[in-house]
Amino acid sequence: MDIATLLLAGIAKGSLYALAALALVLIYKTQDVVNFAFGEIFMFGAFSGYISLKILTLPYWLSFVLAVVTIGFFGALIERVAFRRVAHMPHLTLAMVTVGLSFAMKGAARIPFGSDIYTFPPIFPDEPIRMAGVVVAPQGLATIVVAVAVTGAFFLFFRRSSLGKQMRATQQNMTGARLVGVNVNKVFSVTWALSAAVGAVAGVLAAPSVLVYPDMGVTFLLKGFAAAVLGGLDSVPGAIVGGFLVGIIEMLVGGLVSTAFQDVSAFFIIMLVLFLKPDGLFGVRAMSRV
Amino acid sequence: MRDPVPPAWRRYAEPVFLFALLFVPLLTDKYTQYVCNLVLVYALVGIGLNLLLGYAGQFAFAHAAFMGIGAYSAALLTTRLGVPFWISLPAAGAIAMIIGAIAVLPALRMKRVYLALATIAFAELVTWGLVHWKAVTLGTDGVDLKAPYFFGWRIGSDNTKYFVLLAVAAIMYLFAKRILQSKIGRAFVAIRENEIVAQCNGIDVARTKTIAFALSAFYAGIGGALFALTLGFIVPDGFGLGQIALHFSIVVIGGLASLPGSLIGAVLVTILPEALRGLQGVQELVYGLTLMLFILFMPSGIAGLLRKYGLLPREILAAPGWREQAAERRHAGASAKAAE
Repeated sequence: MDIATLLLAGIAKGSLYALAALALVLIYKTQDVVNFAFGEIFMFGAFSGYISLKILTLPYWLSFVLAVVTIGFFGALIERVAFRRVAHMPHLTLAMVTVGLSFAMKGAARIPFGSDIYTFPPIFPDEPIRMAGVVVAPQGLATIVVAVAVTGAFFLFFRRSSLGKQMRATQQNMTGARLVGVNVNKVFSVTWALSAAVGAVAGVLAAPSVLVYPDMGVTFLLKGFAAAVLGGLDSVPGAIVGGFLVGIIEMLVGGLVSTAFQDVSAFFIIMLVLFLKPDGLFGVRAMSRV
Repeated sequence: MRDPVPPAWRRYAEPVFLFALLFVPLLTDKYTQYVCNLVLVYALVGIGLNLLLGYAGQFAFAHAAFMGIGAYSAALLTTRLGVPFWISLPAAGAIAMIIGAIAVLPALRMKRVYLALATIAFAELVTWGLVHWKAVTLGTDGVDLKAPYFFGWRIGSDNTKYFVLLAVAAIMYLFAKRILQSKIGRAFVAIRENEIVAQCNGIDVARTKTIAFALSAFYAGIGGALFALTLGFIVPDGFGLGQIALHFSIVVIGGLASLPGSLIGAVLVTILPEALRGLQGVQELVYGLTLMLFILFMPSGIAGLLRKYGLLPREILAAPGWREQAAERRHAGASAKAAE
């Protein structure tokens, strides 16, 4: 395979990782916790897409929208039921709740669907496009377009809308935001809803290539982590750049070195980045107040 | 507070309990004995994770990986190199401990989230290594560990295995108890509560964390070796994220920062999947929900509940005999005053 094809495939994969990193960073910035259940939210997104498309036989675009909206509401529900009451507790408690949630969700998917692997059709019929010697799958192009659109929408939302500004205020200083009249609880709900919705977008987009099964989330979660860590856990632009970098590195390693190393390249990235530059490429150096 | 258990009984509780455990094989058939063996293995593994998570407060995902390293070291040393089991058992613990101490070096600079992420990556690398390093680990074919010899005794039946497991578990339990009552144990709790305050009080945080990791990896390694002995057959898949779910459940349900808690947790968490055998989805759902419910509503676990009703003593992290010494000092002070 030539480099340009590999690069383009890497960018397509990377845009999925960028979405995952974006979803993780959103929650980390507001609640200071890493959402270990994100892989399962992604899996739920793919499964709800599968249910509406294959079982209810709805049109593709409607299944996509339904999956995103349902999982978004589900995210808000998780925050309300499980998270709000422990939001002030130590980090360990919060992280443990998401770990428990991740196992429970995996079980909830395995009970009706078993451990079977389900196929999911791509958005366009999968005839690779050739442009000037570069081969690219239409699904890859669609993924890049959707991911860029979602990211752009987020930047506008944070810069322009009142709710976006309230969210940024809460991320910077929760007590301060509350003092100037920001409804912090609403911000938490919206954060979880948005993060889960982004997860569902990634889930439906990734479903044709990674296939749909209850364990599909774990590797995706780790790739998202790698991307978020590379960019710095508290930086949204960092997460996006990190996502693309992880995707590209992974494809280059797979194409030029060995496919056996493709799956673990992300873990090497995590360990290397944490060792050399623990705050990532765009992160702010952590300070602890005594 | 009222004390429903007389203190004199309490002193003999542990030896009596241990003595009673010697007679368990009289009451069991082959299958229940196997489950009891598994309980002992998980008690050890749970104590190891509790040292790290419950006492030292370090959130890490590498425990299942260390268990895997221990299991593979013991099984491979015994079957492929012919090392007797009584050597390969401590060797497995030592290998896990050394890898743990080395792996934690880069993690010493990290805090909280980053530590968790790095240990997930480490755990995935270990399982990947177990699958792909076929020349040594035999890959996904797994390793057989059939009836090794222990000082010339063949440990084949589940009953014989039980006595080996019980002896090792009892020694390791007492060892953990002593460590926690030492200066190191108190340093663990200090860095859990506040690293900066601990540092201001002259505790070497990096050194304490390294000890906590190495110690917890040692327990996981020994636990893993005994796990291999109990099952007789191991595959890389057994040491993935599903395994760490069990470990977290044991520690959280039993009670964070409680040694008897880890025993209680091991009993509950080992029996539950045997009851739900074959229903992997239900198992995961039950574990996940129980973990969440305990963290949300009963964060000190079952041990915390028992402590509340005085059925378990409060664990005091001071050297044994400190009460007597303190009483003596008070007494000496009082008589000195009386003399004036």
